[in-house]
Amino acid sequence: MPYQVGVTIRAEVGADQVPPLRKWLAAVAQQGLAEPPFDFAHLRGVHFARFYLLEETADLAGQPIPASLVFMSDVDAPLRRHLTELVDVAGDGIDQAFGHCAGYPGPGGRRRARIAWLRRHQLPASAFYVNTVGRGLDQIRQEARLRDALENYLDQRDWAGRAAAGLRRELQAFVAGRADLSWAMKPPAPPPLPFRAREAVHKVAVPLALLLVSPALLAVLPFWIVALRIAELQDRTEIERPTQQQMDELEAYEDFGPQNPYAVVGFLKPGRLRLLTTRAVQMATSYGTRHLFTHDSLAGVKTIHFARWVPLDGWRRMTFTSNYDGAVEAYNDDFITEIWWGLNAVFGGAVGYPPTRWLIWGGAKLEQPFKYTLRDHQVPVPAWYTAYPALTAANIENNARIRAGLRGGMSPAQAEQWLSLL
Amino acid sequence: MAINLDLDDIQGLVARGYSGLRHARFTLFGAGGPAAGPALLSWLLPRITPAGRFSSDAAVQVAFTAAGLRGLGLPEQAAAGFSLEFLGGMATPNRSRFLGDAGDSAPDSWAWGAPGGPAIDGLVLLYARSADLLNELHAELMRRLAEVGAREITVLDTLERLDREPFGFRDGISQPVVEGLPKAAGGQRTVAAGEFVLGYPNGYGQLTDRPLLPRSGDPGRLLPPDPGGSGAADLGRNGTYLVLRQLEQDVEGFWRYVGEATQRPDGSADPAARAALAAKLVGRWQSGAPLVKAPDRDDPSLATVNDFGYYHTDPLGMACPLGAHIRRMNPRDSLDPQPGTSASLDVNGLHRLIRRGRGYGPGAADGPRQATGIHFICLAANLSRQFEFVQHTWLNNPTFNGLYDDTDPLTGSRHGGGGTFTAPARPVRRRYRDLPQFVRTRGGAYFFLPGISALRYLAQLPGPVPSGPRTG
Repeated sequence: MPYQVGVTIRAEVGADQVPPLRKWLAAVAQQGLAEPPFDFAHLRGVHFARFYLLEETADLAGQPIPASLVFMSDVDAPLRRHLTELVDVAGDGIDQAFGHCAGYPGPGGRRRARIAWLRRHQLPASAFYVNTVGRGLDQIRQEARLRDALENYLDQRDWAGRAAAGLRRELQAFVAGRADLSWAMKPPAPPPLPFRAREAVHKVAVPLALLLVSPALLAVLPFWIVALRIAELQDRTEIERPTQQQMDELEAYEDFGPQNPYAVVGFLKPGRLRLLTTRAVQMATSYGTRHLFTHDSLAGVKTIHFARWVPLDGWRRMTFTSNYDGAVEAYNDDFITEIWWGLNAVFGGAVGYPPTRWLIWGGAKLEQPFKYTLRDHQVPVPAWYTAYPALTAANIENNARIRAGLRGGMSPAQAEQWLSLL
Repeated sequence: MAINLDLDDIQGLVARGYSGLRHARFTLFGAGGPAAGPALLSWLLPRITPAGRFSSDAAVQVAFTAAGLRGLGLPEQAAAGFSLEFLGGMATPNRSRFLGDAGDSAPDSWAWGAPGGPAIDGLVLLYARSADLLNELHAELMRRLAEVGAREITVLDTLERLDREPFGFRDGISQPVVEGLPKAAGGQRTVAAGEFVLGYPNGYGQLTDRPLLPRSGDPGRLLPPDPGGSGAADLGRNGTYLVLRQLEQDVEGFWRYVGEATQRPDGSADPAARAALAAKLVGRWQSGAPLVKAPDRDDPSLATVNDFGYYHTDPLGMACPLGAHIRRMNPRDSLDPQPGTSASLDVNGLHRLIRRGRGYGPGAADGPRQATGIHFICLAANLSRQFEFVQHTWLNNPTFNGLYDDTDPLTGSRHGGGGTFTAPARPVRRRYRDLPQFVRTRGGAYFFLPGISALRYLAQLPGPVPSGPRTG
């Protein structure tokens, strides 16, 4: 099974192209990205994709930052295949989108020139979260079909009085006997060996490297934490409630199904201390998402399919995006009650975030300022694609467990537990 | 935390549903002109029933929409402190999608509260011990409305039978025990007062945003000071939001569905199976006995039992299905984080509603077929985190608690799918498909139920600011 990569492509949009781009995004919002000219449903391995506009702004020093168009996708490796297919399959749509951007070679441009242009405009994420690393699109779809087939089979009869173990054997026989389902009797293949080896080395190498420099780190730590606390005390945060107009614009693209796209963008507080802190926290976040939170849950939050942090404009700004289940209100409450410490560490360095204390306290715990500021920094995502719109992360995990339970021996109690997944 | 609620300044509906006053009528009115609101309020003020000790034969409460408050002349600065959901109203396209008001529940088909319909400024709730007294109070209200030039938009009559909703189930058993109210003395788990009354700490230990105005805006010092210490006058304190929705229930359709789904193979009716499936959909038997306590048959001696959790006794929903109405309306300890622990209960406590609805219509059993349902009323200090969350994330969410395609079997919308009901069982679940929609929204609006000081302040306002925006 493939591992997953997050693709971010960002390109500047000339001022005269912003109004037509907005209009184009509104039109794409109506028709979606699954069909031509994007045809994302026929690109291989695309879980989610989106376009959104970052409006023209000025940084904290007053330097203008032009408007830009951002494309993101969460896809199965290899990346090369995806970039090629963006041009070969979704080319008409990509041409339309990036045709609003300066220097884009298409549609008249040569295929290789367009691929090279996309490649050049890629941005690296400072951290990338995958709900379950290695669970590819094909697996998710196959396992959803497996569940449907089992559920439909169960619907045909009344099973009252049957022993759990016997019913499980019958379902195993049903799956094994169906040519289109028998794959499910084997476990999904792990991600390719080079990927696993790389991750294993990284998992060990980073703590080792930290251990080596730990004397220096420990010496610096007290100074850093005091300096950070002083900076926190000097923060002057003004948080305004979003306007009705902002809310209308955001809500217009939310809650059409169980999943939603999320995007926020904000400036980092000035000064090297804040920048260093944010970069260090991003490194820790990346380590956490690569090695600790690789299956089913981001530190307790089980409703996120994919998420990423991407530094922008030379670390002056940062955008955070995710594909998540449920409504914003529920998502924010999860943040406050379950991973407030992580949110504070990650976003405490952003302008307009509720005041934090000692990096992780305060902040998100202030319910209304926190919810307001997230809304204030949220960017509408008009153009969005999901490959499995009806499935929550919990559904996908449940489907995987159903498949896993087809193999091996089980006690009657275990068989009963497994049947309760259906 | 000891909380002193200013019960004499809070409208009584927060503390009690007036179950002793079996006759109730809710009147939606439009002010008609700038003078009507203050005149009406001045007349109502001495009649408003506070939340303190109560032993009267009648009760009167009043609530306003955002348009109604602006019509009274509320300064824009103070108006802007109300929640956006309240200011925008219940019938905008975004709210409708979120609340599941689509298809034949869409606002354009509503009997009242539809955009473009007569603008609703306020709501008077009358309660009385006898029908005669109610009629008398109502006639007086109507006279008064006519005198001041206001007009009634809709009069919502209610059923006398208070303990059963029209499908035939005992209702109103589970209410949050609110910190600071007399009922909280029983030692049960309480919910923070600020979840239901503005101006007190909420479930996060903070003050929910509410309308404040500079002291200079209240020269008569009618309003209490902002307990947050800002020095502002607190127009929100002791008030709360009131959600009113007219929910029509297809009682015949409900029992027809349950009957057909439980027919014996020969086509004959199976009354016991029918009652059992209906109980599975609701999570309680018709008597009110909860399935987690009475899994196999109804037990009327458990009718009002409310002291239970789900996770330790019934984690998989074998007794009370995960998707049953009461397990979604109030999942107790069912959900993340750490189901079965107080962490789960704490999160549950952030999404509670005080329900004050009453049934309407003739009921199913008697008379010709006529619309019946419930005038759903709930009170909450945070519309988004409480009412809208419960409606969207718990009731109408087809993927609630790990499910796939199951909206609330009783009240859920089926417009985005969701017509499946899964009843966990041994050895394996029983799945019901294509449940019809049994409940349809016929009207709705968001109101603010002010504290009594706030009513006094509103009554002396000069009327609408000429250039002020007035939105429906």
